[in-house]
Amino acid sequence: MAAQRCGQEAHLALPGLEKVTQFEGAGSKDHVPGQLTSLLLAPCSYFLYYMIVFFQSLISGILIGGVYALIGIGLTIIFGVMRVINFAHGDILMIGMYMTYFLFTVFHIDPFVSIVITIPLMFLFGAFLQKVFINRALNALPQNQILLTIGMGLVMSNTVMLAFTSDYKILTTTYSSSSVEILGISVSEPLVVSFAITVAITAALYWFLYKTDMGQAIRATAQDREAAQLMGINVKRMSIIAFGIGSALAGTAGALISPTYYIFPQVGSVFTLKAFVITVLGGMGSIVGATLGGVLIGVAESVGGVYIGSGWKDVIVFILFLLVLLFKPSGLLGTSKD
Amino acid sequence: MAILKIQRVSKFFGGLAANSDISFEVQQGMIMGLIGPNGAGKTTLFNCITGYYPPSRGEIVFYNKRMNGLHPDAVCKLGMARTWQKVRPLARMSVVDNVMVGALCRTNSLTKAREMAMEQIKVVHLEQRLDARAGSLPIGERKKLEVARVLATQPKLLLLDEVMGGLNPAESEELIQLILDVRKLGITQMVIEHNMRAIMRVSDRIVVLNSGEKLAEGNPREIVANKAVIQAYLGESDA
Amino acid sequence: MNMKSLTANIRGIATLPLLLTVAAIILLFLLPKFVTSTYALHIMILIFISVIMGSAWNILGGYTGQYSVGHAAYFGVGAYTTMILLQYRHIAPWYGVWAGVAVAVATGLVIGSICFRLRGPYFVLASIAVAEIFRVSALNLPGLTNGAEGILITEVPPFKIGNAVITDFMSKVPFYYIGLVIAIAVILATRLVQNSKLGYYFQAIREDQDAAHSLGINLTLYKNAALAISAIFTSLAGSLYGLYVGFIDPGTVLDLGLSVQIVMTCIIGGIGTVLGPMVGAVVLVPFSEALRSNMIAQALIDSGLVKEDSPIGTFLKEQLSHAHVLIYGILLVVVILFMPDGILGFIKKLLASKRKETA
Repeated sequence: MAAQRCGQEAHLALPGLEKVTQFEGAGSKDHVPGQLTSLLLAPCSYFLYYMIVFFQSLISGILIGGVYALIGIGLTIIFGVMRVINFAHGDILMIGMYMTYFLFTVFHIDPFVSIVITIPLMFLFGAFLQKVFINRALNALPQNQILLTIGMGLVMSNTVMLAFTSDYKILTTTYSSSSVEILGISVSEPLVVSFAITVAITAALYWFLYKTDMGQAIRATAQDREAAQLMGINVKRMSIIAFGIGSALAGTAGALISPTYYIFPQVGSVFTLKAFVITVLGGMGSIVGATLGGVLIGVAESVGGVYIGSGWKDVIVFILFLLVLLFKPSGLLGTSKD
Repeated sequence: MAILKIQRVSKFFGGLAANSDISFEVQQGMIMGLIGPNGAGKTTLFNCITGYYPPSRGEIVFYNKRMNGLHPDAVCKLGMARTWQKVRPLARMSVVDNVMVGALCRTNSLTKAREMAMEQIKVVHLEQRLDARAGSLPIGERKKLEVARVLATQPKLLLLDEVMGGLNPAESEELIQLILDVRKLGITQMVIEHNMRAIMRVSDRIVVLNSGEKLAEGNPREIVANKAVIQAYLGESDA
Repeated sequence: MNMKSLTANIRGIATLPLLLTVAAIILLFLLPKFVTSTYALHIMILIFISVIMGSAWNILGGYTGQYSVGHAAYFGVGAYTTMILLQYRHIAPWYGVWAGVAVAVATGLVIGSICFRLRGPYFVLASIAVAEIFRVSALNLPGLTNGAEGILITEVPPFKIGNAVITDFMSKVPFYYIGLVIAIAVILATRLVQNSKLGYYFQAIREDQDAAHSLGINLTLYKNAALAISAIFTSLAGSLYGLYVGFIDPGTVLDLGLSVQIVMTCIIGGIGTVLGPMVGAVVLVPFSEALRSNMIAQALIDSGLVKEDSPIGTFLKEQLSHAHVLIYGILLVVVILFMPDGILGFIKKLLASKRKETA
């Protein structure tokens, strides 16, 4: 997507690597080295270049995959607890991006620090959406629920557009385009920081869901709503909390990517679609699955973008999505019944 | 004449055998009862026979035609129709339209389908409810509607999956009468039922399933006297 | 026998609605003789396109219950085929649209054979993914589609029969009549489907796929039939749109927003009814056009409710034209939450409760 300012593509602009692509374009036949030594060494260095390109895209993929995992986990928790597919998920992420943008430009709070403000605000926003809108449609046809959330997403993105115009906004930090070296491979610095935060948040979330009473109650509701209700779990409250957590995670993901992406009102739809792909890949409702699905999609996009062309990377993701839906509808980790 | 032959049919889900090595035959014109405790594999066997999934092993032969791998719609066209344990009315369509959908299996004309539907609606005594939405019917009438709908597909063999489930004694009595009326039309029936008194009354022959295996087969009198059956099934229920 | 059923059929159709329909059609055919305002004709053409798309979707979504949120694929494929043939191969559109229909139906059958194995929300997701694949592909195949720049047609050749020029497509009137004829055709097709075996089978599939399957209905065959009918008219709507506007690009004719708009036309009017998409189109199109052209802002200012030079006035004038999608969103939320059967269903319910009160 054009929306990404400096991600995996940016690293390919390094001088050494440009050569590789040039060689590739020219074809090895036309390349006649003058000296014997270079003739012997050439395959070796091509190999090295290819390996570097590969590992660079792999690592970028894993790093961006961490953020995708947050988006996916948010969607999967909402689906698990309420059986509602949230089409406004990307738009919630977009709101998180704008929140981060204004905290940065108005109050000069670093995007990675501002998540301590974004997370609770987005939680409240999500809880509000659930209580006022989603809750009224819990018994509607699943298709109508989808349309409801599509409508909510349209309202969000267009309200933001009315308020702040549809201009692209850029959040430039001192480190937006700097990079760090890991094992000789250079990687965008904001991606590394955001990945570290992602890991911390995911770990905290796992602790919450698996070790606390409320987390257990949420998982129980996700597993069997009726049984949970019979066991005295306040299902309504769990739904509100789940939607809050899902929104907080989407908002956080928005905050984390805001230093590297263009910020505009329609940015959400791309992420909504990605979020589905991730959750379906991991198996709807599975938190572990969504984590792995996120990383997998990040890698598929990044590696696919390098080898097939960045314009086609969304197509790769959607084809992967259709294949999983058709042949492994319970997700890559799921156990199918037949 | 045996119209349906179940030959060593097994069905596995993952490693679990829902049906294992089941064989029996259904003779023309008879009512075959299929009983067994919950989870014995009765509905699974119905699903295998009617094409919802292929059996893992064994053969299903209907009028000398191998049925394995046929889809439910093809099975229906060959003259085998089923009802569902949990009734499935086409909720927003009227009673007569529901039955017409069944009849359209045999004709392309709506007029002809309507005539055929009216005939079957008379068989189940739902003439008073022609234009009611199927979703608004009480449970007893929904069960009758489902029978009328499958009868309209002109089956040679009818598979009824717990048509008396959830009904009060008076309604059950009506359905018993209905099953007997259908037999008079010359349609062979295979009936899954938990209501023991009913099944003993209507069945010519009974197959007992337990944990996916065939435990016994015989006429009602033999089944009632069968020790293994008493132990495995009748012993633990109050029937 | 046949005679008898025919007379029964005629008696079955109430005379009053039939007369009203005929009168409406005659009026619509005469309209361009009296109304010369190009803006009014423009709105009418947009309404026709909307009715065509909505009714086409209704056959698949409303009657057969397969909520495709990827109908932009058929709209876009039709529009692109017609426009590419016209602009780069100089093939006249009255041949090109049929090529567009053929490509759209073929596309539909391929998509159908993949997506129809899925049910409920999974089908919805798959339909979106497929449409997005088409959009991204159109962006990335500039040799075929001219990529993101889109296709601008320089002129539509005059339509001749023999040597007589029927129309030169210079005014909006020919587009008006083409739109009207296709709109009538799609409504007629919907009625025909509704009163045939197809209609019964489509609705049975909508109500309960497993039950339908067990009653001898070949699910794949009939779902694909519904999709094919739907794709034909959606593609025609796309071609008409492309020729009328003279410009298409992936961001308009293959966009997810368009898919949503198609579904909305039906949902707002009333899903699974012949009238629903018409009501939806008649409500949505003029409303969003009024917003887009700043009519509503101007009216508010003219009425004296809002002062033109006040901050609210300037805001309305500058921003309200962008708000039509926002209004779509709000309408969608309100309709799903408060009138899930659409405007028609809502009115029916109101009438029913009134009747109960008086009784």
